[in-house]
Amino acid sequence: MNNTPDFLYRRPVEKAIMVFFLVVLAALWSLPLIAALLRGFAFNGLANYSDVLFGNIGGITLWRTYLNSFIIALLHALLVVTVASLAGYGFAFFHFRGKECAYFIVLVFLAVPATSLLIPLFFITRELGLRDNWLAVALPEAALTLPFGVLLIRNYAEDIPSALIEAAVIDGASNQRIYLDIFLPLCRPALINLVALSMMWSMQDFLFPSLFFSSKEMTTAAQAVSRFREYLGASPEDIGRYNASLVLLAVPALVIVLFGLRFITRGLTAGGVKE
Amino acid sequence: MKDQHPLISKPGWRDIAFFFGPLIGFYALFYLFSTGFLIFTAFQKVSIALRNPRFVGWKNFELLLTDPTFLTALKNNIVFAGTSIAAGLSLGFVIAVFLAAGHWGKGLFYAIFLLPTLMPLALVASVFRVLLESRFGGVNETLRAIGLESLAQNWLIDPTLAYGVVMILFVYMIGLPILYYTANLSALNNSVLEAAVLDGAGPLRIMHEILFPLMRATHRTIVLSTVLMSFRAFDIVFFSTQGGPAGTTEITGTYVYRFSTSGLNIGYGSSAALVVMIFALFIAAVQVLWTRRRS
Repeated sequence: MNNTPDFLYRRPVEKAIMVFFLVVLAALWSLPLIAALLRGFAFNGLANYSDVLFGNIGGITLWRTYLNSFIIALLHALLVVTVASLAGYGFAFFHFRGKECAYFIVLVFLAVPATSLLIPLFFITRELGLRDNWLAVALPEAALTLPFGVLLIRNYAEDIPSALIEAAVIDGASNQRIYLDIFLPLCRPALINLVALSMMWSMQDFLFPSLFFSSKEMTTAAQAVSRFREYLGASPEDIGRYNASLVLLAVPALVIVLFGLRFITRGLTAGGVKE
Repeated sequence: MKDQHPLISKPGWRDIAFFFGPLIGFYALFYLFSTGFLIFTAFQKVSIALRNPRFVGWKNFELLLTDPTFLTALKNNIVFAGTSIAAGLSLGFVIAVFLAAGHWGKGLFYAIFLLPTLMPLALVASVFRVLLESRFGGVNETLRAIGLESLAQNWLIDPTLAYGVVMILFVYMIGLPILYYTANLSALNNSVLEAAVLDGAGPLRIMHEILFPLMRATHRTIVLSTVLMSFRAFDIVFFSTQGGPAGTTEITGTYVYRFSTSGLNIGYGSSAALVVMIFALFIAAVQVLWTRRRS
């Protein structure tokens, strides 16, 4: 529809109504953000923001939460991309009995609620001694993202021109060689989409950090939403600071989403609307 | 599937181990072992320390399925998912079509509608809660400031209002439907639309009689993914109302969380976690089978 974007209206009135409708809705949708931004100035003005930016809030700085979030997001993305691309290669190119059945089992875990796994995760984290370790959060996050990752990579891999792989097979290249030298470079667009999505999903996670990180230095930005509240929630004067902190805590996720929006959109539609 | 045959017909054991090993490792630990652990503890009365477990048979499940709060949580899951679906299929569809037909500001509008869904839900829900707090919340302060003090409410304390607030939050998360519709609209064949325009069909008729029926596959994707999302929507409720007042806005996620983290009898928490997981697996299976049959 890129050629004829004006298919819906021929009269200016129709266009005006549409634009008006969109503007009103967009205003409503941005209202909470604007309100939080403004409330962030309550009582102390700009000082609220600078307090949060440069101060130490209950034993942790804002920058440290940014850093923690990015480290976990990267670790999570790395795990997902590695494991999903390996399995995606296998599902796309290997032939063995029960493959489709195995694939179905992989996909069925597409939407396991994180809350349902908490009790076993307490046990696993304790037995592996992972408490306050990046992996305590990145590993279970990766487990939840993997079904989608495998789906995304396999879908993409099946569109790779088979001649490219065949030629390598005939030349006697091992699967590992083909995977590294041919498959991964060809899958780059899908891998980038998966990285963007993985980082975004990790940034969204509040549950795992809040349960498996007890050390203050480990606090992530999403987790700080509740940690800062305990610390800033007491007096009315703190409301401004808490609002300012909510606005500023959105920054890491905002960076990922705005820079990766194209990849996030592509990745989600490739995995969801499979035509 | 595509009719391209798999190229490497007989992978050796080393290949299987190399390519599937990591995935099998993840699944074995986080799904197989975890589910086994849940089943094992669901029939026990045991604390989080796992000392002195007592086998109680189906007792936990009996308690769970007769607990009105759990039934409310299940019902709310359906109601909130239904709210999201209704908003997605109507408002989301209209917004996506208008965006596809518009000239300017497309990217900006798209980002505004999509952002709430892609940000940490804990953050978005917290912003709502702070805004709606009865004493110093932005909404009530604004109402007082413009002399409408009578309209200032205990938004999160009154059960009916709190329920409405959570529903609004679910409507606010309209990003995914818009994303899916936008993707599908841009892949649409123009000739049908051009023919309709030439025949003199107005915008409403085009939307209602041509575009909406054409998007059938997308509707289904949206319905299923929204239902699945409602099982993962823990943060939305936890950070806005915490499931309260008195459990009226509880969803399965917050319910399972409460009994998983209380530590007194995790056997009960396990039984709740299992039941919810079975629901989620079932819906995911339906989605996977449907998607497959189409391709």
